[in-house]
Amino acid sequence: MTDWLSIEGRSITRRDALKHLAAAGLATAVGGCGGTDEDGTITLRWWSTQGAPAQRAAYRTQIDLFEAAHPGVRVVFEAMSDEGYATQLAAAFASGEVPHLITHMPSFAVQGYYAHGLIEPFDDVIEAIGADEFYPGANDVYRAADGRYVGTSIGNTAADMLWIRRDLMERAEIEAIPETWDELRAACRAMQGGGIYGAPLPYGLNSANSLTFIGFIHRAGGSVFTPDLEIALDQQATYDALEFYRSMLELCPPGATGYSWGEMLTSFVSGATATGLYAGRVLANVAAQNPQIADSITCALYPRMSRDIPAWTYNDFPCVCIPSAASNKAEAKLFAASLFDPAGYIPQLHAAPGHVLPVLETVAENPAYRDNEIIDRYPQEIDLMASAAAQGYNLGFETTAHQPNTKAGEIIASNAIAEMVQRVVLNDENPQAAVGNTVTRLEEIMRS
Amino acid sequence: MHSDPPPSLEKRYARIGVVLIAPTVLVFCAVILYPLISAIYLSLFSIYTPTLAGEWVGVDNYTALLASGDFWNAALNTLIWTVGTLMLQLVFGVAMALLLNQSIVFQSLARSLVLFPYFLSTVVAVLVWRWLFNDLYGILNHVLLIAGLIDAPVNWLGQMPNAMISIILVGAWKYFPFVVIVVLARLQSIPEQLYEAATIDGAGPFQRFTDITLPQLRDVLVVVVLLRAIWDFKEFDLIYLMTGGGPVRATQTLSLLVYEEAFRLNRMGMASTYAVAMMLVLLGFTLVYLRQTNRLEEG
Amino acid sequence: MNASRARMIWSVVTWTIVLAVVFPLIWMIVTSVKPQSELFSIPPTLMPETITFEHYRRLLTDTPFLQYFRNSMILAVTTTVVVVVLGTLGAYSLVRFKYRGRETLATLVLFTYLMPSVVLVIPLYLMMAKLGLANTLASLVIAYTTFALPYALWLLRSFMSSIPVDLESAALVDGAGRMGAFVDVVLPQALPGIVSTALFTFILCWNEYLFALVLVNSDSVRPLTAGTMNMLITSFNIDWSLLMAASVMMSLPLIVIFTFLQGTLTKGFGAGAVKG
Repeated sequence: MTDWLSIEGRSITRRDALKHLAAAGLATAVGGCGGTDEDGTITLRWWSTQGAPAQRAAYRTQIDLFEAAHPGVRVVFEAMSDEGYATQLAAAFASGEVPHLITHMPSFAVQGYYAHGLIEPFDDVIEAIGADEFYPGANDVYRAADGRYVGTSIGNTAADMLWIRRDLMERAEIEAIPETWDELRAACRAMQGGGIYGAPLPYGLNSANSLTFIGFIHRAGGSVFTPDLEIALDQQATYDALEFYRSMLELCPPGATGYSWGEMLTSFVSGATATGLYAGRVLANVAAQNPQIADSITCALYPRMSRDIPAWTYNDFPCVCIPSAASNKAEAKLFAASLFDPAGYIPQLHAAPGHVLPVLETVAENPAYRDNEIIDRYPQEIDLMASAAAQGYNLGFETTAHQPNTKAGEIIASNAIAEMVQRVVLNDENPQAAVGNTVTRLEEIMRS
Repeated sequence: MHSDPPPSLEKRYARIGVVLIAPTVLVFCAVILYPLISAIYLSLFSIYTPTLAGEWVGVDNYTALLASGDFWNAALNTLIWTVGTLMLQLVFGVAMALLLNQSIVFQSLARSLVLFPYFLSTVVAVLVWRWLFNDLYGILNHVLLIAGLIDAPVNWLGQMPNAMISIILVGAWKYFPFVVIVVLARLQSIPEQLYEAATIDGAGPFQRFTDITLPQLRDVLVVVVLLRAIWDFKEFDLIYLMTGGGPVRATQTLSLLVYEEAFRLNRMGMASTYAVAMMLVLLGFTLVYLRQTNRLEEG
Repeated sequence: MNASRARMIWSVVTWTIVLAVVFPLIWMIVTSVKPQSELFSIPPTLMPETITFEHYRRLLTDTPFLQYFRNSMILAVTTTVVVVVLGTLGAYSLVRFKYRGRETLATLVLFTYLMPSVVLVIPLYLMMAKLGLANTLASLVIAYTTFALPYALWLLRSFMSSIPVDLESAALVDGAGRMGAFVDVVLPQALPGIVSTALFTFILCWNEYLFALVLVNSDSVRPLTAGTMNMLITSFNIDWSLLMAASVMMSLPLIVIFTFLQGTLTKGFGAGAVKG
């Protein structure tokens, strides 16, 4: 205990503490935590935030395929909490009890950890998968400041597509799917009524709000940071986006001031709103929970402020990465690469059809991938989402010209953007003042 | 009358007493002392949570905390939340315990069912309540609309003062069974004779309650209030999952700030500072409370 | 006549409130037997049009739910036994024995509760890892025992202090040793307190989340709450049907156990009333 608390110089590191403890003979071998057993069997631990039963079954397939091809290596899947993975990983990194593989975290989380030396560079795994197999530019989001790749995506998610009900459009005599904000407002207003609302936008104090609103800043032609990561929030685009977001509040259900991802999804799926803002999960949920509208739904890129502003899609780029402190990294890399073999990759994608989209262009065109009820039924929607997601961005990587932002995770988690939106839209505070406060908060986070 | 044993026996008895409490003290020291001290220690540093590496900042964290509006806002919210939900927990808890102490049909089943909110996982409880509160497909609004009590769905969680009221109510629902269990157990061991004697003397039900029941309950209620006050003050999951601290920090309590600093901003040093602040408040409350209740006992 | 009418009135009042309190359980049960297509009907329906046990079947066959259940049972029972034993002995010590620092000790153990658990979890995990206990049920038993002991001590102390000393003195006079008096006199009188402590400890182990999430990671040792939450709840999607089925299955067995316990022990309570 005293070793850990002793100060060497003016800074302490966990690594020093652990070295002392190992020397003192207190570090004991931990069975069942991965590593190599006495008989030489290597156990790899795979942590993921997506552990639903359907997905676990798919992972089982991939694990079985790998274990058959590599006797002497076992893989154990362990689910992480999607809301609490930061806590679990903090404990793992701090203690050295790290898994061998982490998947499905957002790309900006991986970048953040990499900047502190916690993640292994991934270039050789990408080579093993085949760098040309990916959609062009798909791995840019994972390039760190030092030029190496910190991981890759296990799938793509086009998280803020516009979902819309064709039957309601017909009823309101709207011919074309809205492409600009004015068209969207008009369409929502026309379709609202009879217990149905226009849109389920998230105004709660949560990450759904922040992430969605960042998309709107981009669709107004701006960005949160400049390519050199100076704060650009105080710009006309932000005020335009705030104005638009405020104007949409009356077209949303009354509880929207507290909405998060769950309500956004269920509102559209249950038929309570005419439009939705979500990823491909809508397709599977509609098929299961509200099949009556299954034939009337379609998706499009979310409208921008005006047609000359390029489209922008939020993709959290669920990752595959390897902690730098993991043992048996060679085997872990082999396993990571094997996750992309079509034989196992396609079943995994089918476990969340439309929601987790292929990152390999070759797989997207593979007929075995197409052979799925949902994917077969909505081919245009799937193709649109796949290409939108492949060219998608997030706060960690706002455009191809941007440097990677390793503080993006903390910024989203701080709810600074969501708070700004709430102050202006809910509390009716002065936009300039709210934006100014948020800029100060962002500066503080970038500095820390 | 109990006569004191001779001095040597006293000493031997005292030794037995120490032996009996030793395991508890050992567990406490071995397990909780290190985390407590390291939390206090970390508050003097600026720490990046995943690596626990950082640098010395001395009292800078504390000055930043006292200067930040967020801290005082959260402190006020915590006070409102704690007092509100604690009072409801006490009132409902005692009332329910009294009811369950009566002769009723299916008494054992009723006593077990009433524990349900307490043993339901907070995560699930909040998800279900958010569903019940929902404006579109939540049954609460639906029933109120049909009954004609409201003409538009109520926004339970997304506006004030609804948000604070909602979490106080859900908090009361979740934790009042704790009070029920303890009070009910205590009620069971109040001798019937006391009530019989009082009835013979002509005391009515209310007088029997104030003259016999309440004094007998006093000791356990003192403990219950202490424990529940501490736990309600520290409550995190319920508020975080229910409102996230919103709208705009109106329900953000100190424990939410601790979590935000620790695992969302990855600033474990600052989180520890907030935690130490909370600890000092709780420590102050505990000491004052214990002294007050002990003094009343002697008096 | 009056007694049975009073009984009826009390029953109606009490059961109305109980049903209101457990309404979320009713909602959970109803939802868990609804097919997915009826989940979010607008307006919401209480009675399902079709009843299906599909979700329960999937939960039991397609997920490690039973494994989590077993882990939680082992964890909860072990911890409860440890806490009841240590707590009862410790409380007796605080109430009946005089030694220096007695009051201070009692107050000191409350220190466990002064810090939010969020800042305690990582140092605790580091300690467990150093001891080789990372990812084991034992680490959770230790952690939960530490959190349960303070309230066990204080609750049992307040229950025991209300037991008149005369009874023990009588037993001592009769020739019983100090510990004999404890077992024969104090334990039966303190039974309501002991049962309450056991209940609380069991419930703590059953639904605690943060420490279960961080201290153990493997499905083979994961308890119920962390296991089912991680499996069924993600920020993008919640598997409501399975979640409701899981929550019902996490709750009903406890209700059955508690009802059974209350039934057998209530008779014990009544008989244990102190005769003046």
